[in-house]
Amino acid sequence: MSLSRRDMLKAQAAAVAAAAANIVIPAAAQPVAQGIGTLEIKWSKAPCRFCGTGCGVMVGVKGGKVVATHGDTLAEVNRGLNCIKGYFLSKIMYGGDRLTTPLMRKKNGVYDKNGEFTPVSWDEAFGVMADRLKAVLKAKGPTAVGMFGSGQWTIWEGYAATKLMRAGFRSNNLDPNARHCMASAAFAFMRTFGADEPMGCYDDFEAADAFVLWGSNMAEMHPILWTRLTDRRLSHPHVKVAVLSTFTHRSSDLADIPIVFKPGADLAILNYIANHIITTGRVNKDFVKNHTTFVKGVTDIGYGLRSDHPLEMKAKGTANPAATEPIDFDAYAKFVKDYTLEKVSALTGVERGFLQELAELYADPSRKVMSLWTMGCNQHVRGVWANQLIYNIHLLTGKIAEPGNSPFSLTGQPSACGTAREVGTFAHRLPADMAVANPEHRKHTEEIWHVPHGLIPPKPGYHAVEQDRMLRDGKLNFYWIQVNNNLQAAPNNTQETYPGYRNPDNFIVVSDAYPTVTALAADVILPAAMWVEKEGAYGNAERRTHFWRQLVNAPGEARSDLWQMMEFSKRFTTDEMWPAEILEANPNYRGKTLFDVLFKNGNVDRYAASEIPAEYENQESKAFGFYVQKGLFEEYATFGRGHGHDLGPFDLYHETRGLRWPVVENRETRWRYREGLDPYVKPGRGVEFYGQPDGRAKIIAVPYEPPAESPDKEYDIWLVTGRVLEHWHSGSMTMRVPELFRAFPGAVCFMHAEDARVRGINQGAEIRLASRRGEIRIRVDIRGRNRMPRGVVFVPWFDASELINKTTLDATDPISKQTDFKKCAVKITAV
Amino acid sequence: MRGQNYCRLNPWARPLLGAVLSGCVILLSGAIYAQNAPQGAPQIVPRVTGNADPMSDPPVPPIPRPITDDRRVMRNYPEQPPVIPHSIDNYQLTLRTNRCLDCHSRQHTEASGAPMISVTHFTDRDGQVLADVTPRRYFCTICHVTQTNVKPLVPNTFQDMLLIRDPKR
Amino acid sequence: MAKLKALLLWFWRIASRPSMYFSLGFLTLGGFLCGVIFWGAFNTALELTNTEAFCVSCHEMHDNVYQELQHTVHFSNRSGVRATCPDCHVPHAWTDKIARKMQASKEVWGKIFGTISTRQKFLDMRLELAENEWARLKANNSLECRNCHSSIAMDFTKQTPRAAEIHTRYLVSGQKTCIDCHKGIAHELPDMTGIEPGWRVPPELRDRHSFREQRQSLQHFIATASAGATGGE
Repeated sequence: MSLSRRDMLKAQAAAVAAAAANIVIPAAAQPVAQGIGTLEIKWSKAPCRFCGTGCGVMVGVKGGKVVATHGDTLAEVNRGLNCIKGYFLSKIMYGGDRLTTPLMRKKNGVYDKNGEFTPVSWDEAFGVMADRLKAVLKAKGPTAVGMFGSGQWTIWEGYAATKLMRAGFRSNNLDPNARHCMASAAFAFMRTFGADEPMGCYDDFEAADAFVLWGSNMAEMHPILWTRLTDRRLSHPHVKVAVLSTFTHRSSDLADIPIVFKPGADLAILNYIANHIITTGRVNKDFVKNHTTFVKGVTDIGYGLRSDHPLEMKAKGTANPAATEPIDFDAYAKFVKDYTLEKVSALTGVERGFLQELAELYADPSRKVMSLWTMGCNQHVRGVWANQLIYNIHLLTGKIAEPGNSPFSLTGQPSACGTAREVGTFAHRLPADMAVANPEHRKHTEEIWHVPHGLIPPKPGYHAVEQDRMLRDGKLNFYWIQVNNNLQAAPNNTQETYPGYRNPDNFIVVSDAYPTVTALAADVILPAAMWVEKEGAYGNAERRTHFWRQLVNAPGEARSDLWQMMEFSKRFTTDEMWPAEILEANPNYRGKTLFDVLFKNGNVDRYAASEIPAEYENQESKAFGFYVQKGLFEEYATFGRGHGHDLGPFDLYHETRGLRWPVVENRETRWRYREGLDPYVKPGRGVEFYGQPDGRAKIIAVPYEPPAESPDKEYDIWLVTGRVLEHWHSGSMTMRVPELFRAFPGAVCFMHAEDARVRGINQGAEIRLASRRGEIRIRVDIRGRNRMPRGVVFVPWFDASELINKTTLDATDPISKQTDFKKCAVKITAV
Repeated sequence: MRGQNYCRLNPWARPLLGAVLSGCVILLSGAIYAQNAPQGAPQIVPRVTGNADPMSDPPVPPIPRPITDDRRVMRNYPEQPPVIPHSIDNYQLTLRTNRCLDCHSRQHTEASGAPMISVTHFTDRDGQVLADVTPRRYFCTICHVTQTNVKPLVPNTFQDMLLIRDPKR
Repeated sequence: MAKLKALLLWFWRIASRPSMYFSLGFLTLGGFLCGVIFWGAFNTALELTNTEAFCVSCHEMHDNVYQELQHTVHFSNRSGVRATCPDCHVPHAWTDKIARKMQASKEVWGKIFGTISTRQKFLDMRLELAENEWARLKANNSLECRNCHSSIAMDFTKQTPRAAEIHTRYLVSGQKTCIDCHKGIAHELPDMTGIEPGWRVPPELRDRHSFREQRQSLQHFIATASAGATGGE
């Protein structure tokens, strides 16, 4: 063998280059040099870890590691496609800084709020946590204990959390980050139809003749649904797409009717469309007569700020913002008559021609319309109204609950529907659309849970924004955060969230896979197993419940959130946690741990771990000795079965690519409320909104009301926040995938060129973006994918080093308590 | 082709050398990565962990530049959509026009010299092969992205499928 | 008609008679001065209409094409050299400029009648408007592009290999002119269905003609073959 120095150098260079990419080039020219066995990959199905679309992916495992992922061709949602994030799922678990051991702030070997993070054992971490929790309960009672969960929890994790919090710790201070995301949608569903979640499904994409995006940028936020919409639009030239937004973005690129309106003015456009339908005589009179009723909402309802805020003091309708009173069609018609083309065009800044074209899409009886929206409507100080005003125009025209005619609320998280909403992890909710304030619902829940009556507290707990305020005010002192990055996500975090976490009275625990901003502001960090490191289930936006198996083991001592909660529950006895009078009345519950009464209750521990196929691991079942996930799921499913929320049998979900509930006799339901399509509609009714006692949906009369904060002389620009295609939410997973990071390596402020020029700001220059609450430094992009109108800037929130939520306003919709992340006033100056 | 001389190495020496060298590099980079962190505490990487004081506003580095070297990058696994090795600044991708397909469609590859879109791109939602790119794949940037000249924030320990030997076998 | 004739005759009589009140010097100098003033005013006015500020003073230009321009490299770039509207849309040579300005009088009518007074109308007209500009630039061999971008001054080592190769193949060889490939560089494109990207598709796909040719050659082949066969009888 002769090797010149030159050859040697070249070989070295190649090897170093390969090593830098973590790859050693295998030598074999023949792929099967050591037999086909070395090439085989074990493929299993799973839903994607990211958005609410719920794409199916195939996950390839080799030697205990995920080595590849691709779109599942058998999954109805995406039929083989993934977006760029989905294609890189293989790498999200392998960020070099995965947390592998519990960490606790310590000084001189003991817990100290101002100490340094030090690795500790699970036993030590849980020990300190339990002591703190008990101390807080003793001093202040259950209202000082809280948990912040997520629409990324698996179904059984959310279910375990709601049991542990409500029945174990007796606190309703449990809220999911879905409060920031889907609360307005959920409230609007309940108010309009008496039941949460869409009546339609994704099959509507292939049946509609027109699509209207209300503030949604699906091209970046729901890319795979965008492929279905694009497919329909480009394949059928008669199809029209209208895109409404406060700026021009990638979805606008497919728009036949591109509309950019002034922030908050969507309410006026929606009422104008209703007025147009009525004045041009295109109301579907039969449908309206048989299936709807009319109500009028309270107005001037405030902005969900702290109650001593001047805006709240001034508002007249804050006492009961959700109240409505019945009216009739004529009163409704008179109410919307104000919203004329001229007036609305002037208010919104939208050309009359576009408004007319848009209204005609709805008014034309021969056109099937699908309306789509996400955070533009939900993160809105009048978000519940915005959602309901969309239902209004579908109900007036009868374009609802049939293929292609579909008002469709998209979701942002993989299980915002399946876990946060259906399981009922909101501060006011119980499983299957029940409410904690309703004594019957509490009783029913206690029966299914096999716990004594009177255990679940009747008062709804603190919602997300309220939790931050209570932490800061020192009224919420033990706080556990799982699967979310709320310090990065929460509004006005400089003034509310961060001081709350660092308040010396408070003890903050964060369970996460990676060291996020939130984790590093906590007192204890618990390392979490993620995605296919545990058996899981998600529910997507079209009511599809989708399961996956545990495919690989989590690194080090990382454990799933489910294991964490169940294991932690062993440290508490009923005697410590429950009131004496309840135990007196139910003496057989004495002397048991919360684990015994909540999880070893005869339901949850009903199925043997041996039911799990031998080829798959299941760490939780191994630890607790029974098939934990199946037991939790089957207990949970009893809430909805027979009540229009039917989930199928556990094992069926492992065989299918998900099923859309109600699943009756093992068959899914694609369209609800329509006879022949939904088994719950009584024969002869045609359409029945059976969530409401009278079977009728509500059309609501509510006006345009201005945003909480608008630009003025000093803070002269609108700030809109959101996401980009390449990063998901706070970026804790996607920013650790090199390809995704390199594709969009940091947040930028998208801005109009003239706005930049008058401030002396160049493309790419550093600026100071400040609001009345806080400021950040960031770079400007005037040539990027988002094309801003004058007076509006857009900043994505995925970048932990440039926390845009330092500047956002903690105004919420007073009905849903969901934050408005889309409208506040800022000023921008060159650095 | 560049790097063809490389084949002259003994077929056994090649992987061995590669393995040793890459091992060194991985160890070295791991050591560098670990050295700043206090014992066991997470390291501060501002873009993912936030700044050391999360509420502070340190200066922001410039926006990185896109990589435009036209060099094909190896995929992490066969199903990964290839990244775009050139700038797509202001490329129009709309209802009315598709700048990507101007070069990458079958019809234009001869004149443009660009790689043709993959055959998977001709299959519609129902698995039928069409005469041209399927409308569902029209917006290329949903899957294909450009890259910028930045180093990854944290190393990713994802391992290539060819390097993993299944211990069960 | 008779009246008009009389008027013309009257004017001719005055114009053809020597002046009785003004000296020749006064008239020549005065004429010259008036000419200078007129020319100055004309040119100033012309130049005024040749600025971006003038172009975007109409909302049609400001709200549509100018907004789009601001996202592009012709508005903001590394060296800060900017192209304004007239740089690309008005020829620099005087005669061409005047010709273009006379054409522009049509645009005044467009303004008065509101041909593109809304975004909706503008989008509907966009293909026609763009085609006019492409045809003009094609006809003058992309003259306005070349006012700044000279093909001979391009340093291929500073371009990406891909750009350098394509420029060598199509631009330097004179096969193509700038606008053939670089459409929509400063504005959004209209519906491009059927418009080639600069290079042409292979002949077998290009048009019906080539299909006809193919069929004819096939028919010819069959005919001659069968004729040959008959001949052999």
